[in-house]
Amino acid sequence: MGELVIRATVNGAPRRWTVAPGDLLLDVLRREGYWGVKNGCETGECGACAVLLDGEPVNSCLVFAAQADGRRIETVEGVAAGDRLDPVQEAFLDHGGVQCGYCTPAMILVTRALLARTPRPTEDEVREALSGVFCRCTGFKKPVEAVLAAAARLADARPAAPPAGRKPARKAAAR
Amino acid sequence: MFDRLRAFHRPATVAAALRLATAERRAGGRGAFVAGGTDLVVQGDGSLRWVVDLSLLPLRYVRRRGAGGGWTIGSTTTMADLERSAALRRFADGVLCDAAATAGSPQIRNRGTIGGNLANASPACDLAPPLLALDASAVIAGGAAGARKAAGGRRTVALERFFRGPGRPALNGGLLVEIVIPAPPVPRGGRAAWAFQKLGRLQSDIAVVNAAAGVIVGSDCRCRWARIAIGAAGPTPLRARRAEALLVGRPFDRDAAQAAAARAAGETRPVSDVRATADYRREMSRVLVGRALDECLERMGRDPWASW
Repeated sequence: MGELVIRATVNGAPRRWTVAPGDLLLDVLRREGYWGVKNGCETGECGACAVLLDGEPVNSCLVFAAQADGRRIETVEGVAAGDRLDPVQEAFLDHGGVQCGYCTPAMILVTRALLARTPRPTEDEVREALSGVFCRCTGFKKPVEAVLAAAARLADARPAAPPAGRKPARKAAAR
Repeated sequence: MFDRLRAFHRPATVAAALRLATAERRAGGRGAFVAGGTDLVVQGDGSLRWVVDLSLLPLRYVRRRGAGGGWTIGSTTTMADLERSAALRRFADGVLCDAAATAGSPQIRNRGTIGGNLANASPACDLAPPLLALDASAVIAGGAAGARKAAGGRRTVALERFFRGPGRPALNGGLLVEIVIPAPPVPRGGRAAWAFQKLGRLQSDIAVVNAAAGVIVGSDCRCRWARIAIGAAGPTPLRARRAEALLVGRPFDRDAAQAAAARAAGETRPVSDVRATADYRREMSRVLVGRALDECLERMGRDPWASW
């Protein structure tokens, strides 16, 4: 009883789903084949189910599917362009930031959200951004290195950026 | 988990949200308002039959109050919104931003709202101590008490009276729509400082104890106004009024701060649970209030106008 039709954009593609009122976004995404969204704890602790909702990381296990209606969702499936990995994904590979891989999709996504807001984050800012995704294999050292490397790589690739170092430094001071 | 949920309402106005909740209550069956879901979904009450989602209400804002100064904050403003608000960062030493920044992981803060944080009435609610230290009030629309008043009736409840017990907010079926923060009464030539402190295994954990302090001194360096609020150290977040009284009228210095902290600990009524024992909480209340008051002192001392 009381099925709902919701429309959302997932990785740039419009989707239309029929969901039950009590369905959670995590379950609907996995049912629809977005298996990069991991079901870890179902209590909002581990962060393995993180997706970007209108660009911001959220734990999809705590979002009702009905609340995603009209919103933009990004999962790890949408990060690579075909066979070409995103610089964030490449950095995780290069720096050994992946071990079992279970938390990796979420780490990639929270990193993309961080770098969109803060292109040259400090190490503290990186640690803060990753703090809601639990890795039980490698610890956080290598993922932190990977994010910093990705930030540097993206900043180098960005043409006509403002003088390096000045803007991020101001941001860090304001926090 | 929510298999029995048969209705998920998404109203666009507060009036519609109240109307829907009233109609559902009349029809019987348990239900709830939901915003970020970071408490409601975790609580996992499988008996819920209906939900009224607040996400589409126009309640996500931080605004300056017109007359008299101060601020109003819409109840669906997220922890991340508060944490990043440049305006609130400049107000009261950013004490609200600091508290919001500790309320769970980044993903939780992107969803969790100020309204949900307060309306769940957890004794450990991170925003309660700073808001109590700012004399904040809750604006409630509708509900049993409001219904008797004019249509669209709203009532304002001092935050201290909003918390009636663990999980028992003074809502009476109404909806928390706004938090009001009055302008602090800083006299000419006076100075003010606020600080937030929290103890958890990690910063983002549910607090073992949290505390906030606010102090206003006159140009004579005597304390004119003091607020000390402590969370997770009693059935509700509480004001340590005797400790505040100890400060007022005296020169505000380290000795005064330590004496007030000791007295504040005596005003707590902590319980022992999975996070800490009552004794530990009482002792940590003293430590955290002491640190918060020290931070206030330091912030005043750093002021270029400081006379000592």
